[in-house]
Amino acid sequence: MKRNALSFLLVLVLVMALVAPVFATGSKEASAAAAFDPNAKYEVTIGAYGDLEKAYKAVFASADFKAKYPNIKVTFQTSDFGGHHNRLTTVLAAKEQSNDIEALEVGFIAQFVEAGGLMDLNAAPFNGGAISKNIVKFAMANATTAKGNLVAMPVDIAPAVLFYRADLAAKAGVNLDNLKDWDEYIAVMKKLADPAKGIYAIEHPAAVQAIPLNGGKGGWIVNGKPLEPKAKFVSALELVRKVKAANVDGDLGAWSGPWSQAYIDGKVATIVNGAWFGGTLRTWLSPEPGKWRVAYLPGKMMASLGGTYLSIPETVPAARQAAAWEVIKYLTTNPSAQLITFKEIDAFPALTSVYKDPVMDEPVAFYGGQKVRKIFADVALNIPENKVSEYDNVMLAIWNGAVTDVVNGVATPEAAYKTALDKIKATIF
Amino acid sequence: MDKLNARRRNLTPYILISPFFILFCVFGIYPISYSIITSFFNWPLLGNAAPKFIGFDNYANVLTRDPYFFKALYNTVILLVFGSLMQHVVAVPLAILINSKIIRSKEFFKTTFFLPYITSTVSVVIIFGLLFDTNYGLVNWVISFFSEQQKIRWMFEPWGIQAVLAFILNWKFIGWNMVIYLAGLQSIPSELYEAAEIDGASTLRKHLSVTLPQLYPIMFLAIALSIIGGMQIFEEPFILTGGYDNLGGAQNAGLTSAYYLMFTAFKAYRLGKGSAIAWLLFLVILLLNGINRLAIKRLQR
Repeated sequence: MKRNALSFLLVLVLVMALVAPVFATGSKEASAAAAFDPNAKYEVTIGAYGDLEKAYKAVFASADFKAKYPNIKVTFQTSDFGGHHNRLTTVLAAKEQSNDIEALEVGFIAQFVEAGGLMDLNAAPFNGGAISKNIVKFAMANATTAKGNLVAMPVDIAPAVLFYRADLAAKAGVNLDNLKDWDEYIAVMKKLADPAKGIYAIEHPAAVQAIPLNGGKGGWIVNGKPLEPKAKFVSALELVRKVKAANVDGDLGAWSGPWSQAYIDGKVATIVNGAWFGGTLRTWLSPEPGKWRVAYLPGKMMASLGGTYLSIPETVPAARQAAAWEVIKYLTTNPSAQLITFKEIDAFPALTSVYKDPVMDEPVAFYGGQKVRKIFADVALNIPENKVSEYDNVMLAIWNGAVTDVVNGVATPEAAYKTALDKIKATIF
Repeated sequence: MDKLNARRRNLTPYILISPFFILFCVFGIYPISYSIITSFFNWPLLGNAAPKFIGFDNYANVLTRDPYFFKALYNTVILLVFGSLMQHVVAVPLAILINSKIIRSKEFFKTTFFLPYITSTVSVVIIFGLLFDTNYGLVNWVISFFSEQQKIRWMFEPWGIQAVLAFILNWKFIGWNMVIYLAGLQSIPSELYEAAEIDGASTLRKHLSVTLPQLYPIMFLAIALSIIGGMQIFEEPFILTGGYDNLGGAQNAGLTSAYYLMFTAFKAYRLGKGSAIAWLLFLVILLLNGINRLAIKRLQR
């Protein structure tokens, strides 16, 4: 009898333990932030990835920041790109305490925008909307939910441009500035590529697929319909097909060993990427100044290929939120902070007021004295807005399959589009 | 007093073995049971929305509508046959060879063949990725001496991805299986071989009639482990084909069941559907091990 009672008790405990989390989920409410006290001492932690710590440390070491916030000490928890976002996803899912500020790459912001877990920076006492009038509009739109909640502040963006090797262009006798459309770009690439010498005009045909889609950061669902308008998505696949058919690519998988080696060896003549890629060229792939130039994308197409946002998770205690917000405000709306970040890691400012700074008009030695920042700024101001959704990750993965099918010649752009659409509908809707 | 001592004596063994059961309950029974419950809910990983009970909808979705589940299962079975089960065809003769008297420095060979098993999967896959690279890879360079044809795009062709994955799996796990079979070979009584010799059996006949039948129980274990491991392959295709953004590369050729499970739960953030896939995968592994058991039993007859 006693044994039966004990067994019953054990089973009851197990069932309760299993069922309790079902009801517990979603029960935690975000607490309201306390006002910032200039006389109190604060220690703010930032969860960052890549080079962000290097840039922000330079900002916090500046005399201006020290004078404004002598009472704030900032520490970092930096990981690699994937590791940082995996950690953040885990702590937000478990509703565990995170860093006071968490950085988010634009590709990851979609999943947090509608799902929740981050403070609404439009609400009091933050009132982020009021201080964001000089921040590029498309980046603000990416971080805003359908209900108007602002879940993060854009700190840097990545206007997409065409990087090209000036020496290879001169040798081939081609001009890549002001290409009127993609067909002209392909015609130029045919002249640039020299397969006998292992010179490729572009890394891989898939490298161009995201450009007609405004970088593929959002815009996958319009009015509840995936991959609309159809013509836009089919034209992106058609562009991939044309580049592949031109036989000018190196078939190099992005960020692989052979990919980086090809750039180090000077065997790739052009690359379509965000402004931040200049930093990768300068510090790693091709440090010798004067070899690279920057041009607008063909047909002056405007797109965004990256960007960083700063957020405050809901699990951050109310007493620390105010100081976290002061740091975010400084990094995102202070011109000096924005320019230091740009100088340190080539992360292009999201704050448009700095585009008028004289530094933007200076020639850049790495680009042979070209005034590339003016091009970056012009693109940044004209990037169209895209709406992100929580399904973007899934749609991007399925879309990449369609692109690969077109590259491999196993599907026409039309057929690949239809397959991708069917898969998206079956997976999500 | 005696009663109290007797009770203490009775309790002591339970207390001593309790750490295992406590840990097993916390890290084994509880999460496994929890995943059954999760599989009946629409359970978003992120956000404040409460999980919604949807009965068997996750299972129905995976089995009837999902465009990737059966594709992933097919890929997994292909890799299981050419990557995991093929190892045994090599591992058994290799173990017999190393166990034979003609081989000296047995420890050296055992260690050498076992090394791939304890090498980091990430490093292994990255290095194999470089070896099979289209333009810079050693494999295509060697092939170029024998063939004038276009370079093979190992990482961009569906069959190429599966061939490279099968190669990696064989390379990594043959040594592991060889060690298991070596242990089995060393437990075969030498009298059986002596009796076969007296009967005039050739070396091949001795292995066919003595070694293999004696190894059947070990084969069952080794193949069962290969099935369990093979059906859960994740790191190799995940790293080789570029992670969640590519869903297994060209025509999803590298998408395995465990890869898709992870994608569903931790990239698409559908914990419920991910749990349902995990349980379906468990049933497939159970079925395959049942077939393995039947096959070995029939051979033993």
